[in-house]
Amino acid sequence: MTKEALLAAYLVENQDRFYRLAYSLLHSREEALDAVQAAACRALERQDSLRDTGALKTWFIRILTNVCQDALRQRSRTVPFPETGPEPAWEDPEPPDETLARRVDALPAGVSTVIKLRFYEELSLKEIGEVTGQNLNTVKSRLYAGLKKLRVAMEGADIE
Amino acid sequence: MKEFENAKREYGRIPIPPELDARVRAGIREGQRRRRARRNLRRWTSAAACFAVLLAGLNLSPTLARAAADVPLLGGLFQVLTFVNYDKTEDGIHYDVNVPQVDAAGSLAQRVNTLIQEKVDQHLAKAQADWDAYRAAFFATGGTEEEWGGREMDVIIDYDIKSQSDSQVSFVVTFAEGWVSAMEERYYYNLDLSENRDLTLADLLGPDWVSRCNAAIQEQIAASVDGEGFTFFFTPEMGGFTTVDERTDFYIREDGVPVVCFPEYSIAAGAAGIPEFPIR
Repeated sequence: MTKEALLAAYLVENQDRFYRLAYSLLHSREEALDAVQAAACRALERQDSLRDTGALKTWFIRILTNVCQDALRQRSRTVPFPETGPEPAWEDPEPPDETLARRVDALPAGVSTVIKLRFYEELSLKEIGEVTGQNLNTVKSRLYAGLKKLRVAMEGADIE
Repeated sequence: MKEFENAKREYGRIPIPPELDARVRAGIREGQRRRRARRNLRRWTSAAACFAVLLAGLNLSPTLARAAADVPLLGGLFQVLTFVNYDKTEDGIHYDVNVPQVDAAGSLAQRVNTLIQEKVDQHLAKAQADWDAYRAAFFATGGTEEEWGGREMDVIIDYDIKSQSDSQVSFVVTFAEGWVSAMEERYYYNLDLSENRDLTLADLLGPDWVSRCNAAIQEQIAASVDGEGFTFFFTPEMGGFTTVDERTDFYIREDGVPVVCFPEYSIAAGAAGIPEFPIR
């Protein structure tokens, strides 16, 4: 199988989880669809930069999170008070205010991305470092800072 | 940890829009197309370099002159050659630029070259302005140097020769900026250099070109509707296709068939890409 075919098959096969990740970062159905499409396009266009197909997952998630972060920045240029957050689309129910998912979203973007990648996408800390371009210590300190803020009891939690 | 499990379960319940699959596939197709376009242009550049060498030899060697006529798209009365070609990264912008120049005597070639150069200049200036604004906004909204990393924007100018005969040439120039969005603009050129004028759909299809085009396009849009009644194309009421006119873009395929094209998002959802309709 060529790299191109492998990449295309991987994207089609895992589209649901990519959409969920994009949606959890953007909270907009349309923007999440745009982000996944743009990331797929960029991935195929830049496939030569993927040297080790074993790193496919982190390589693509990095592209996707970059596209999402750019979309968020674009948005904060046009929305004067971004801290109020975008209105959720009516067809996509949001978790009630006090749930953990909501509190994760309320964290600073860099911290909540680390937490989402760790617990929703189940990436290792090392993989998160590769995705976000941070060194391992930064990832760790962001994760702990986030968990502390969330006041989640960590006994027996599988953090590493 | 129970809370995290709940959060994860909710995450897994984020509804998947039915159009996701089509959007992913459209992204894949577009990415493949762009990558091929880049590789083609590399091939073209080297073909043009060879031709420059051949040109120097034409007067000297009859063998070389015959060989040049045998190279597809390089033979004939005139050539379309790469004029400016550079691939460099400067100040975070990666330029991959191939600007064609029509190499023929006559005012038409001159006019087309000037038009193309104007569009190139405009596009490069706009790309620089977009990139500066993006970078300023990135840091103004709390982005850090670390997050910025080695971000680059791609500026791609490329051309594709669709067909060429002894006196006619049809080519498309593509301008694309690749960073957050992935929009591209295309310009179409169909030239008759022996008569020193632009070719029109009327030249190719005869006096009833409007009705012939409209019938063919409507038929192809109707054929795109799937079993569930879904199509990417908008209805005329939604701003979809109504009719072709003098400004409608087209190129001429290798077999002489004109192919009518519409810009992205103009008559169909973005996932359909750039809709193209061969008019037989």
